[in-house]
Amino acid sequence: MSPKTADRVASAVFWAMGGITASALLFIVVQIFWRGLATALSPSFFLGKPRAFEEGGGVLPMLVSSVYLAAWTLIIAVPVSLGAAIYLAEFARKGSRAAGAVRFCADSLASLPSIVFGLFGMTFFAAYLGWGTCLLAGACTLALLNLPVLMRSAEESMRAVPAAYREASLGLGAGRWTTVRQVVIPSAMPGILAGTVLTVGRVLGESASLIYVMMLVTRKVPSFSPFSNAAPLASNIWYTQTEAIIPDYRRVVDGGAALLLLLVLAVNLAARALGKAYSKRKGVKTADARA
Amino acid sequence: MRERKAKKGDPLARAVMLVCSSVCILGIALIFIFIIKESLPAFRELGPSNLFGAQWSPDVSEPAAGKYGMLAFINGTLLTTLGGLLLGAPLGISTAIFLDQVAPRRAARVIHRGVEMLAGIPSVVIGWFGLTMLVPFLARISGTGGDGLLAASIVLGIMTLPTITFLSLEALRSLPPEYKEASLAMGATRWQTIRRILVPAARRGILVAVILGMGRAIGETMAVQMVIGNARQAAWGPFQRTSTLPSRIITDMGESSGLFRSALFAQGLVLLVLAMLLILAIRLVNRERGRGR
Amino acid sequence: MPELEHKMRIEGLCLYYNGFKALEDISMKVYCRRITALIGPSGCGKSSLLRCLNRMNDLVEGARVEGVLELDGEDIHSACRDLTALRRRVGMVFQKPNPFPMSVFDNVAYGPRLTGRKSRGELEEIVERSLRRAALWDEVKDKLRQSALALSGGQQQRLCIARVLAVQPEVILLDEPCSALDPISTQRIEDLLAELKSSYTIVIVTHNMQQAARVSDYTAFLTIENQGEPGRLIEYGETEDIFTRPRDQRTENYITGRFG
Repeated sequence: MSPKTADRVASAVFWAMGGITASALLFIVVQIFWRGLATALSPSFFLGKPRAFEEGGGVLPMLVSSVYLAAWTLIIAVPVSLGAAIYLAEFARKGSRAAGAVRFCADSLASLPSIVFGLFGMTFFAAYLGWGTCLLAGACTLALLNLPVLMRSAEESMRAVPAAYREASLGLGAGRWTTVRQVVIPSAMPGILAGTVLTVGRVLGESASLIYVMMLVTRKVPSFSPFSNAAPLASNIWYTQTEAIIPDYRRVVDGGAALLLLLVLAVNLAARALGKAYSKRKGVKTADARA
Repeated sequence: MRERKAKKGDPLARAVMLVCSSVCILGIALIFIFIIKESLPAFRELGPSNLFGAQWSPDVSEPAAGKYGMLAFINGTLLTTLGGLLLGAPLGISTAIFLDQVAPRRAARVIHRGVEMLAGIPSVVIGWFGLTMLVPFLARISGTGGDGLLAASIVLGIMTLPTITFLSLEALRSLPPEYKEASLAMGATRWQTIRRILVPAARRGILVAVILGMGRAIGETMAVQMVIGNARQAAWGPFQRTSTLPSRIITDMGESSGLFRSALFAQGLVLLVLAMLLILAIRLVNRERGRGR
Repeated sequence: MPELEHKMRIEGLCLYYNGFKALEDISMKVYCRRITALIGPSGCGKSSLLRCLNRMNDLVEGARVEGVLELDGEDIHSACRDLTALRRRVGMVFQKPNPFPMSVFDNVAYGPRLTGRKSRGELEEIVERSLRRAALWDEVKDKLRQSALALSGGQQQRLCIARVLAVQPEVILLDEPCSALDPISTQRIEDLLAELKSSYTIVIVTHNMQQAARVSDYTAFLTIENQGEPGRLIEYGETEDIFTRPRDQRTENYITGRFG
């Protein structure tokens, strides 16, 4: 085969591969929406209460639990990740052993399977700390699970702040801490926010680590105690299809899956919009780097 | 500049930062401690020969009660991971090459967004898709139940695809543009440039992408649990039902107590060790990479 | 003086990037076995012009060329033209030394391997010959298996020249090949060029007046009048004439400005 023919064949193969990837994705998304979107968008579903042995149940408590869980997760994880990121980006010396250890542990944490977090959460938060299976235990588990990603995105956003800003502030006699608070964090904010929003998407979709940490007991609405059980939407989808007690469980799962996908996509789009606003601010720089 | 320590006056801030930073270290330590602690009874009372045996029959009511062997599930984990990578790695790597070198800019952007979207789909949703679309389809073409190793591998292939695509893409994009320019200026075709220059130069980054994809496949729980059939015996054929370590844990944990529960934690420990091995593998690859290609 | 045989002919060439006109109405001839230097202030389009000669501008999205560009009397833009064959005949050396991340041997053998299987012996012979011609053989003959990235900058640049020589081009384009090098390495490259011109047609872009004066036989001076205007060819002729008796005031200003 001449190099030219080989080049043509290879191009065709790459187009085919890209096409397979794109169409597999499209197929999944279209299928999920096709079967569940009508249910998901009907108010009786997303505003309705679940029913155990009859048809027509909804998922409102699950939806509320998911959002509530995400809120608690962020309340715990964001300050911690910010603190760690400020240390890594602004204060740690180059080649510092402590920073190296933090990074290694974060990398390890990021690569652990979520079921391992689930096992840990049920023994540590629920049993050892004596909280029992509850929403807060789930939130703590998810906070730990999402900590590395949050930390990394915050650290990267801070590193992307031009050194000139810091120097200007330091040159005016501001201390390092003041500089971080007044200059670095505000400039890095869009990036930090985008990372945070992405975490919301992951929390909404997470289920494996939660099943035995929270126990899938449907919450009353409204109920805001973090120490009661909860059944967030994603976990509930799994549970409903596994048990299959509800007569119209297929409809509930189809609708739940579509609703969940819709939420996650919306959240990810929001994160992208934030990220875009971010890169627009540094627009000139990135454009130059590309050219 | 950066090396200079915090000015006096923010010791509190510094303390808070250090506490925050140590959470990661503390977290991973606690995870190890608690999972080892919970699985100790199984190791002590059952011994490795039972725990790593081929038979899993934990219920007291069963005739062969008291067998807690996880070998079948290790087998299931490795086979589905391998299957997932056989699908996800070639597709992911070539999608990355496609996006970086072949696709027109607009098409590349659309597909890039699409793969991002795929990365965000929750695993229960992929699992539900697998259960209601993939499994019936496989059942029809094979004349079996449709669930089992192959269904789980396909699901894992889909789920590792974004990881492998994006990390390979990053590896390719981090190459100096001069390589491509120099190669084309020598009269190489695009394919020759990809095969002889770009992919070899990015090979370590691509390897890391595949290892991270592997990590994702080993740990995936829900989607696999929904399509693998959850049988207790080892399987080799593509349409045989079996379990992986995570799917077994999630299936059985609810009804377990005592040694049974501890045996499930021992499976969790094996997962933990596998994940750490992958981390070390990545460190090794990256160190080589840092040392000059 | 009888007209020399020319290798490439450029007639009324215009270059656009996404509608922006970068070069306007360039006409010149590149003579066989001579060194032609392209000089001018930065941004005047001299590198862009060089990249037209082996169609490297095709890689730039939105780049478009108008006018005539011939190699041995054949239009290099004609539709049936084999791009890879063109680039094998018109080799290019870049501003920054850019060896591939592989061994010295594999770098030089890269080009010959592209066109089909070659025996080990053949490759070894080509590699040695190319490295000798690039005056690098004595320095690297014991390190052929080592990574090319371990060589010094000057060695890397000569390796890149050897890599181009290995495909036996007819024309060699050099885009400010010494701008990243120290004076000694620069000297060696200049000596090398003087030697190579007996068998190759060479076009070199340089921002260094002395270099153009030292190595080239012909010099083309390009400039832009104002920001945003296209680059134009102001004067083209024998190097000696350009540097001693420039006909155009702008050439004189540039050269004396640079020298003085």
